[in-house]
Amino acid sequence: MKVTFDRRKFLAGSASILAGTTFGIALPTSARAGEKIVKVGAITPLTGDAAGWGVPAFQGYKLWADLTNEAGGIKVGDDTYMVEVEVWDDEFLASKALTGAKKLVGDDHVDLVTLLCSTPVVAVQPYLTEQKVLSATTCTTDLSPDSSYLLSVGEVHPFYIPPSVNWLAKNRPELKTVAILSQDDELGVPSIATYALAFQQNNIETVHTELFPLATLDFAPVISAALAKNPDILCFDTAYPDFMNLMIEQAYQQGFKGQMMSVTLDNYPQLIEKTSKEFMEGFVFLFPDFDDPRLMEADINFANPGVFYARYNEAFPGAWTSQSWTYAAVLEIWKKGVEAAGSVNSTDVYAALQAMDKPPHIFGDAKWWGADVFGVNNALIGRWPVVQLQDGKAKIVEMGDVAGWLAENEAVVLETLREVGMLPN
Amino acid sequence: MFDLVIQTTVNAVIASSFTALFAVGLVLIFGVAKVVNFAHGELYMVGAFSTWYLYSEMGLPFSVAALCAILVSTLVGIFMETVLFRWKRGDELGGLILSVGMLMILQVAVIYLFGQGLMKNVVSPLKDSWQVFGLPNVVVPYQRLLVLVVAVSALAALWFLLQKTRIGWALRACADDPMAAMLQGISINRFALIAIGISAALAGAGGAVMAPLVQIDPDMGHTVIINGLIVIIVGGVGSISGAVVAAVFFSFFHTFITTFTGGIYADIFVMLFMLFILVVKPTGIMGRHEKV
Repeated sequence: MKVTFDRRKFLAGSASILAGTTFGIALPTSARAGEKIVKVGAITPLTGDAAGWGVPAFQGYKLWADLTNEAGGIKVGDDTYMVEVEVWDDEFLASKALTGAKKLVGDDHVDLVTLLCSTPVVAVQPYLTEQKVLSATTCTTDLSPDSSYLLSVGEVHPFYIPPSVNWLAKNRPELKTVAILSQDDELGVPSIATYALAFQQNNIETVHTELFPLATLDFAPVISAALAKNPDILCFDTAYPDFMNLMIEQAYQQGFKGQMMSVTLDNYPQLIEKTSKEFMEGFVFLFPDFDDPRLMEADINFANPGVFYARYNEAFPGAWTSQSWTYAAVLEIWKKGVEAAGSVNSTDVYAALQAMDKPPHIFGDAKWWGADVFGVNNALIGRWPVVQLQDGKAKIVEMGDVAGWLAENEAVVLETLREVGMLPN
Repeated sequence: MFDLVIQTTVNAVIASSFTALFAVGLVLIFGVAKVVNFAHGELYMVGAFSTWYLYSEMGLPFSVAALCAILVSTLVGIFMETVLFRWKRGDELGGLILSVGMLMILQVAVIYLFGQGLMKNVVSPLKDSWQVFGLPNVVVPYQRLLVLVVAVSALAALWFLLQKTRIGWALRACADDPMAAMLQGISINRFALIAIGISAALAGAGGAVMAPLVQIDPDMGHTVIINGLIVIIVGGVGSISGAVVAAVFFSFFHTFITTFTGGIYADIFVMLFMLFILVVKPTGIMGRHEKV
């Protein structure tokens, strides 16, 4: 049989496909009869240097929504809300984040916007505050008096750093010198300053500090310069995942034998493969795997972390990183705020969260903080885990007391951050 | 301090070899096809992505993956010449704009094919390091030595091709005076195709051997192409030996300043140094003296 394909058939076929696609897109995907929809939005870097965090963050965000919907959605009074997720790739650029905020709020009508941190967060605040839409950042230093709807309820970067240094100093008192390395941006600068302060408090001398440019191609000279100072500790600070990966590999190849630490240690199984289990053993960082037995205890405010971890790894094999759960942790707190408020309205949810005696931070008891420093009481400060690689697996070795450390050191850490320009005078 | 100087020298030699490998390809395509190929960095990126996919995802041996990656980059280069650049021969601005378009197409293509965002890990097939001359604090990873060996071998082979073979003479003739070359019966299109094929293969080889050492992402060609353009301008546009010399200057200067002062200052000082060279010698280090 001879099959002919002329212009008329082509146009007819194309129109059918287009109509079908449009109809399919127009249909709601998760709502059933009688159920309401609440939309949440993620503005996150899906491309660019920070994509190694942004992509897993969105994957976890979407998974949290799927798990919540499977469990029956969010009960608000007599209503049940199914959660729908919108996403915008801001490439970690302020201008694109603002475009995304206008799209998510103006077009998609989301009730919560979750962002990574720094300039993209700051850029969207005037618009989101005007629209009275809740948003969340991982960096507490993004808070300001003008961003009354911005919450720092998941991560509290960089304030959660010092307990990990304290733990290391307590457990390995023989370590006396450190070299700290990070990229030169608004994540690296406050992080290095906070690490340096914590090391100083523990009588560990910072013998080398390097803020390398984002365009760095070759990390061999960066590591050579650090190792030339013979540090006992190599601290990779809050370096982006790809940078961290390359620096750790360089440290291995250039023969470093000492202690390593950082804020995140993303894709550590791959790093073990690239170096060795022995080389990575004892690495100290801040982000646990969610199958950690400590997270199964009653004080953890995250529904079924083990299930979340298993489903995540099933859906995205090998993709688990520090950010796989941080956006989801924000959603978890927001959900409790929605349930307490009996509304998905941002103003109501904010008021309900602020009124709680024990705000439900993922790692247990916490309190609102920040009014004296940022003009808003929107940072949730409590505990944060200190994690160590043991026998090739991340293990929580201590729940660091961030609130306690901050209570004793607030003045000095804030002064330190002011000195590096990360807080207003 | 002595160890650090030696270590930095070793690092700079390795960096020089890669920079030269990349820049020479850029010179070659400019000399023969008269195209400022902004997509040359993306040919390097294609080499790295192909290596990652074939070696890390498909499980092929690294050497096989690298050879396939070189082939893929070469084919992409041939495609660019056949479908794009050939039709804009003599129009340098048109060729440049087409190459920018190709740059974007290749970036989107790898995002479409391999996804975006997550790290593309390539476990080095050569994990160990060489203790240089037994010095305790001077090491060079074997993977970096591989970069040096591949770059020097490729550049030596290219030199032989250009200087000792009839194809090389024809390529040089096309670069020196295309009209005269045509009058001698040399097909500009044919030799432009050969030049771009070689150039793309060099970029692909660079991407393949560098894949375990660098951040593999769709934008990875950006910094490399900027460095490459600086090098060929300072070396003297059209001069292969100038590009090699400039690559060595560039890499040594950058590596030493990164090590002893910091990476932030390295970019600034390298630009000032290169600017100084152009002020002293506006044609570049070896401009006019030698062409492809």
